[in-house]
Amino acid sequence: MKIKEIVDILDAEVLIGEDLLDQEIEQFAASDLLSDVLALTKDNFLLLTGLTSQQVVRTAEIAGGVGVVFVRGKAPEQEAIGLARSHHIPLLMTSKSMFDSCQAIVEAMINKEKK
Amino acid sequence: MTILHSRQKLTLANELIYELKVKDAMTREVIYFSEDATFREIQMAMKNNRISGVPILDEKRNVIGMVSIDNVITALDHDYVNEKVREYMTRDVITIPQNFSLVSAIKKFEKYKFGRLPVTENSHSKRIVGILTMGDILNLLLLSIQTIAEKVEEKEDRNSQISEQLIEKTQEKPLRFEVKKADFDNAGRVASIIRTYLQRLNIDQKTTRRVAIVCYEAEMNISIHSLGGYISVTLEQNNIIITAVDYGPGIPDIDEAMKPGFTTASEQIRALGFGAGMGLPNIKKCADQLELESSMETGTILKAVIRIGG
Repeated sequence: MKIKEIVDILDAEVLIGEDLLDQEIEQFAASDLLSDVLALTKDNFLLLTGLTSQQVVRTAEIAGGVGVVFVRGKAPEQEAIGLARSHHIPLLMTSKSMFDSCQAIVEAMINKEKK
Repeated sequence: MTILHSRQKLTLANELIYELKVKDAMTREVIYFSEDATFREIQMAMKNNRISGVPILDEKRNVIGMVSIDNVITALDHDYVNEKVREYMTRDVITIPQNFSLVSAIKKFEKYKFGRLPVTENSHSKRIVGILTMGDILNLLLLSIQTIAEKVEEKEDRNSQISEQLIEKTQEKPLRFEVKKADFDNAGRVASIIRTYLQRLNIDQKTTRRVAIVCYEAEMNISIHSLGGYISVTLEQNNIIITAVDYGPGIPDIDEAMKPGFTTASEQIRALGFGAGMGLPNIKKCADQLELESSMETGTILKAVIRIGG
């Protein structure tokens, strides 16, 4: 699944990286624990989180994430935006909750498989 | 943490509003007329320049009146639109001196509900130097906030330059980076530099990732739990060795610290998304070999070995 499909699925606002949305997502991570994100085994994951600190973007950078979604309409700190810009990591923001976001993504995946 | 953050943001906006002056935000190219201009001329100028009010100046560029779009509409209604504005314009003009802060400007906008304020040389003068709208203020505030993000960006660019410089240096000498106590904003900096460094050396992606994660967790540990320390990275033929040293206070029970979920971190750290007791277990998972020594007198030394391509 591509990041731009997620933009649609979550009615998300693209905060940073309009030009980076063609990247392929290999794994999803939904977590407010960054150490758990660092424990993921695959690169190219999309991180959904309720955190807004710059460490979120740092974690995505270090562990090889393709993007970050901030759930429940919480905007990231300015510092996070600066980091994302310099490391070319797209940032999305959705007003959906973490649970609803995950559900929407799973449903979209199932529909995609059926087709 | 959300409450804390919104408060911080508010303080930031407040600070900026006090720090920034009217002259920083105002437009210096002022479209103005003399009192001999007709409402029709002013109406055309408003249309062409998409503005909703113009100051009326005397020959010395002193503000003597204001004509707003409301005045023009009234002139159209009462059929004097081709007459000079002299008799009809608002003469009680509210102005603001250029060296006042944006707070006073915002207060004036709220109080008088004007769309624009003529800006004067100083509080004793009526001589115009610019014009200010709420849009101008908003623009400047957004710009100022943006520079905060850009500063971080610049810092990151400097970090990647550091990585480039490192490649120039010999590989035998260990790279050493200081990590300060409680410096969470910079935590991850070492990991980021090392990551870029290994990428440039064409070390494979998996190895690079493992090294970066070990560095990041170790950095986080030093800044959360210790009085400060350093991280050094050495490249041997087939191995990358990461050594994280801190100056105390030491880990009382290493076995307990290695248990997933065991933590002594504060609420503040947890709010950042760390301190879940996964740091050391994560390091162990990423490393091929891990040594951990801790003394309550001298501090902790962590040594992780990662096999390249292993």
